[in-house]
Amino acid sequence: MARPDGPPLLLVGTDYRLAPLELRERVALSPAETEELLVALLARPSIGEAFALSTCNRTEVYLAPRDERDEETAYRELLDLLFLARAPELGQPGRLYVQRNKEAAHHLLSVASGLESMVLGEPEILGQVKQAAGIADQVGAGGPVMQHLLRAAIEAGGRARRETGIASGAVSLGYATVELAKNIFRELEQCRVLILGAGETAKLVARNLLERGARKLTVANRTPERLEAMRRELPTIETLPFDQRVEALAGADLIVVATGAEEPVLTRRDLSAAMAVRGSRPLLVVDLGVPRNVDPGAAKIGNLFLHTIDSLQNLIERNLKRRREEVPKVEELLGRELDRFFSWYKSLDAEPIVAELQRQAEEIRRRELAAAYARFPAETHGDLDRLTRSLVKKILHHPSARLRDAEGENTAARLAIARDLFRLDSRTDPTDGTEE
Amino acid sequence: MEPGATRRRECYDPPPMETFLSVGVVLLPLAYLVVTAAYGFLFFSGAANERRWAAPALLGTLAFHLVYLVVLAYRWHQFPAATVAQALSIIAFAIAVVYALVEWLGRERSTGFWLVGLVFFFQLFSSLVGRPVPPDLARFKDGVIAIHISLALLGYTAFAIAAGYAFLFLQLYRDLKGGRFSTFFGRLPPLEALERMMLGALGTGFIALSGAVFSGILFAQREFPAVWHRDPKIIATAAIWLLYGAALALHRLRRWQGKQTAIVALTGLGAILFSLFAVNFFFTDFHGFL
Repeated sequence: MARPDGPPLLLVGTDYRLAPLELRERVALSPAETEELLVALLARPSIGEAFALSTCNRTEVYLAPRDERDEETAYRELLDLLFLARAPELGQPGRLYVQRNKEAAHHLLSVASGLESMVLGEPEILGQVKQAAGIADQVGAGGPVMQHLLRAAIEAGGRARRETGIASGAVSLGYATVELAKNIFRELEQCRVLILGAGETAKLVARNLLERGARKLTVANRTPERLEAMRRELPTIETLPFDQRVEALAGADLIVVATGAEEPVLTRRDLSAAMAVRGSRPLLVVDLGVPRNVDPGAAKIGNLFLHTIDSLQNLIERNLKRRREEVPKVEELLGRELDRFFSWYKSLDAEPIVAELQRQAEEIRRRELAAAYARFPAETHGDLDRLTRSLVKKILHHPSARLRDAEGENTAARLAIARDLFRLDSRTDPTDGTEE
Repeated sequence: MEPGATRRRECYDPPPMETFLSVGVVLLPLAYLVVTAAYGFLFFSGAANERRWAAPALLGTLAFHLVYLVVLAYRWHQFPAATVAQALSIIAFAIAVVYALVEWLGRERSTGFWLVGLVFFFQLFSSLVGRPVPPDLARFKDGVIAIHISLALLGYTAFAIAAGYAFLFLQLYRDLKGGRFSTFFGRLPPLEALERMMLGALGTGFIALSGAVFSGILFAQREFPAVWHRDPKIIATAAIWLLYGAALALHRLRRWQGKQTAIVALTGLGAILFSLFAVNFFFTDFHGFL
């Protein structure tokens, strides 16, 4: 009997769209908890393979029931083990998503590509999928179906990022600052960065700049204690007394201002004086303060690029719009990866036939070779062996590939014809037509 | 039939060569248009697939252009820069070669649309001007004039490239200054790199043009001692030379920033084109060959 179009799959999960943080954190799984859950699931007779993915925005579990009839049992067991056991409120309608077979497979590929993320196309999710796949592999929870599905998901996620613009452009204030800097300066590593402020926003931007290669970061803040705390958190930064900030302006290429000051901490005069020293070198000033920390008049200074929270939001909006425009391309790519996954699954029908065909050919080869050895000198036997192996391999290559190729129509008919042509079902010696 | 030069030239008119040149003059702008479109698609859509054929298409067109120029040189038995059409075609070819090298060395394709677009316009103007019979001037055989023409073409090529980078610099500058983030933002090399490329091209162009002016004066002083300093082409070129020289000096002295220099680079290209077309066509026959 031919296999169904795809393997039986069941997905149960919840994410930021269906459950508030308070519920999501109750069902979130640490790596150790993920291992325990997978082991517990595999102990159930209804479940053949399992995979669990847990991030701050989602917890979802994929199951491959042993049989389609086991699906309902597997579903109940999963709810009892995880979702309802930890957060009974998830039993309310609309708190969980349940998807089956092709939809479930498509969902995993979408997740890995960043299409389901809170910030469209965010890059961390692919790493999290890989990490979760590693855990499933460690505990032996992934059989052939789950392994192939995860491979397809990781491939789709990687290709989506490489071949489309789904992850292009910054979508956070920190990375938007980095993006602006990268559009002005040739090397972020050589940029001297001055940060005024040591609050959460300043820390976030400093961290993003360091992650993207900035090496020369100096931070100035009114409160020395907060400055010291920031240095403990980011040990590579240098610190500067706040009242020396104006002297430091001329030497900086990128200035980020994020203080809680009610008045501008940098005036147009300060910046004009700095630009006079800098000559033709450009200066990027990012003012993240509300109210503004930099005199807006400074925007008129030539070669000085002053950006506020509003212009950074403009950039983020533009990048998000571009990412949304890339969704159809990613969907097309996912479709192709899914087709390959389902083709692989359908090709499993052909495996016993291909194996039998190869076994039969090998048997004939050995028999004929044994008979031929007597007629050839011993030193040529090695060459004869290699020659016949190569012949058999080449002759069978195309029929094997065609049998495994589950795309197109009449797969079942093709397999039946192969069985008949090569007499694979009967214990027949195809060389002389006699039954064994 | 007139005796003399015309008859001598006619005997060098092998039909296949003429046919090739007639087809080439039409095909070249079309080919550059296709290549420009490929780079444009790459620039605006960021599509990965077009990377595979934009660069090979450019290389194919360059090879065809090279053959065209070689045939042109063979056809008239002289370096193919004796008319405005030929000079524009040489400049187009040189810009395309420089861009191909920049792309190959720097793996940088984002400026392809704009620079190959510039090549297209130069070649289009060249083809529209047509293929007038170039003058068979004895002075073309002179070594000083060969240096003069070569340096002038190198200078114009460099200034055209500088103008291309200047245009891109100004677009990105405007985006960064106004916080509007148009199509250019994020798709070009950083502002500093564009400025450096523009200044590099301007410097190269200025040195080459200085050499061209100097060798031209040497030659003109020898051949036309009484009239050369009144020639509109020479006056226009001197003005262009001064304009570029002043811009480079002011930038060097840190009085000017990239924006002002970029504006001059664009203005300079306009002046060069004016000098090539208007001065040559309407004001002078002293520089009748170019």
